[in-house]
Amino acid sequence: MAITDAVPSRAGQSGPDERSGIRRYPSRRGRANWAALLWVLPALIAYGTFELYPLVQTIRFSFYDWDGVGPATWAGLDNYAGVFTNSEQFASIEHAFILIIFFSVLPVALGLVAASIIREARAGVLGTLGRVVLFIPQVLPLAAAGIIWTWIYAKDGLINGFLTAIGLGKLATDWLANFSTALPAVGLIGCWVSLGFCTVLLLSGISKIDPTLYEAVRLDGAGRYQEFRAVTLPGLRREIVVAASVTVIAALSSFDVIYVATNGGPGYQTIVPGLEIYHLTFTSQQVGAGSALAVLLTLLILVVILPLQRLARES
Amino acid sequence: MDRFIAGIPRRSALTGLGAVAAALVLAACSAPGGSASAAATSGPVSTDVGSGKITLSILVDTPGVAGTEKLGALFTQKYPNVTIKVSGDEFTNLISNASRTLSSGTVPDITRTSLGVLVKDNLLQPLDGYAKLYGWDRWPASQFASSRSNAKGSERGTGSLYAVGNGYGLTGVYYNKKILKKIGASVPATLADFEKSMAKAKSAGYAGIVTNGKDGGVAYPLQNLAIDYGGVAAISDWTNGKAGASVKTPAMIKAAQTIQDWSDAGYLVSGVNSLDTTSAPAEFAKGKSLFYTSGNWQAPSLQKSMGSDVGFMLFPAQSASQPQYAMSASESLVIPAKAEHKDAAAAFLNFIQTDSRARQITVDDFGLAPGGAAGAETPDAVGVVKDTLTAFAAAVKKDAVVDFLGNSTTSMSLTLIPQTQLLVTGKTTPAAFAAKLQSEYANQTGQ
Repeated sequence: MAITDAVPSRAGQSGPDERSGIRRYPSRRGRANWAALLWVLPALIAYGTFELYPLVQTIRFSFYDWDGVGPATWAGLDNYAGVFTNSEQFASIEHAFILIIFFSVLPVALGLVAASIIREARAGVLGTLGRVVLFIPQVLPLAAAGIIWTWIYAKDGLINGFLTAIGLGKLATDWLANFSTALPAVGLIGCWVSLGFCTVLLLSGISKIDPTLYEAVRLDGAGRYQEFRAVTLPGLRREIVVAASVTVIAALSSFDVIYVATNGGPGYQTIVPGLEIYHLTFTSQQVGAGSALAVLLTLLILVVILPLQRLARES
Repeated sequence: MDRFIAGIPRRSALTGLGAVAAALVLAACSAPGGSASAAATSGPVSTDVGSGKITLSILVDTPGVAGTEKLGALFTQKYPNVTIKVSGDEFTNLISNASRTLSSGTVPDITRTSLGVLVKDNLLQPLDGYAKLYGWDRWPASQFASSRSNAKGSERGTGSLYAVGNGYGLTGVYYNKKILKKIGASVPATLADFEKSMAKAKSAGYAGIVTNGKDGGVAYPLQNLAIDYGGVAAISDWTNGKAGASVKTPAMIKAAQTIQDWSDAGYLVSGVNSLDTTSAPAEFAKGKSLFYTSGNWQAPSLQKSMGSDVGFMLFPAQSASQPQYAMSASESLVIPAKAEHKDAAAAFLNFIQTDSRARQITVDDFGLAPGGAAGAETPDAVGVVKDTLTAFAAAVKKDAVVDFLGNSTTSMSLTLIPQTQLLVTGKTTPAAFAAKLQSEYANQTGQ
């Protein structure tokens, strides 16, 4: 997309046509490709070592019954069948989808609101302050965020203290240990983390929207809401898709925040696939079963993400 | 997080998928993992640590590093040619990574770990030869039960000895002496007394029991109740991972029912599922609860925070004449099969169990009860720490120690923790609870 956008403007420039240059010096093309490969090589090695190799190994392990050290025995598709017959593993996938609401839908929606507000205050101190405050969670390691929030959610924590102070002490509960509040509570941690990322991304998108469009709708007598619907939202379509993709992946593959905050509890209330994979592989030493769930999770993420990507391409 | 940017062109995506598929086919041809390595034999063993300069490397859990360094310094005093290098890792990491650590190129000479799969994969040195050499085999045998394993690594309490420790964990009940006095009760001698004093505490505005339900603390009183109701044999077979053992028994169901009754009656502290090993003792030290079911490892810090207001007893039996059981396991220190200085490592393990100053460190710095020979002198201690040592001696003397339910298989805690959380909140029935523990046990032991 970026290329087709760029070509017309470059065609307008004077100077030698690139395509004719290629025809004149055919040997240079080959040399340029080798040089290009050299430039890509460091990244390719890193990508191959840390992404592709583990991916292939995980797929390989998923067909074996293996404790991680000793001899492995061929298991065929047993490990995959196990995922569908184990109710806890199945529940973990359901929870991951619920987390999409908190990790993705809420932050993108709130990010749109925040970005629109900050846009108007962009030049002022408030705009900068807003950006910094919203982006700070993105800088914190997720494990640290998890620990901070366990304190906030604790029985004598900030939230319960506040509720008691305003006379709503009856609502105070053990947010992370209560069966009905645990999943939304960890979800809100994710929302808090994602919000900054979404806001900054959407804000950079807004800055690319032609300001005259805003002026035009204002002259047409549109209010804030119509301005948002007619200009901001359509102008941000691609940014919204990117924000949604990144956060949906974060939701489906969530691990750190939940590991720190609840470790899947109470009961099985906040168990997610990432946690199950960790438990199976490292605690139960069932590397094959853990790998099978990991492969299925990867496929699931692709199934969810690919249609989203299509949305960005259609214009 | 933002690895994912715009759309991938379709053709390159297909090429990529093709490459991955090809690699998969290639990779799938061979099985992962090593071939089975030969079982380490006891080999020639010696008490001689030699005279050449050696460095003994020890890998323990992080909180144990300082104490182990102290033990190492004492050992170096006795054997100046041996330098001890202690490193630490977070406990869960230590256990999770043990297979990889012990099969790698550089292994520590001593490390703390659990047995199971490490025994099966022949990564641990059997210690029977050293036990004979140093006379450990003549000490009370129950202290070593949880450190013995069959060759398959599936059943403990039998087979070769693979681990010893400088000290032993021990479960029991801490009680708040002030609250006891306030409600006009004495230290309960029977289970019935125990329940009565909880009822009194409840009506005086205290909780009966506080425990760390977030990480499975409810399992301690549960296991004690199951032993009280149905005897120890079934439970110890199960915790040892014996084939055919079962906890789908009337005793376990009754125990689960009692826990649920206690929860319904408000004896368990509110929000028990949110308390962990840090917040549970803190609640107890604040005087919110009459009892705290936990283990001796909490004694040094409770001594500090509560002074003479806290006492420790073994969980009561149904009648005062029956033995009171405790869950106990050693701080399992092992010698890896690939360790470089096995004889020196064994000498260190013997030293920390027998030297009187080392035993004092075990109590003061680790909060654990030292094991050893039947007549071994007990280190100095006061207050609740002394209570735990007395309790340990009493339990060992009657052979009334048993391993933890959570140790029955490598991953039983993953079932026990959520299931006890469901139990205390009434989201599972006692019968379903026992059945679930048993079905996971059957799954994991391959029955």
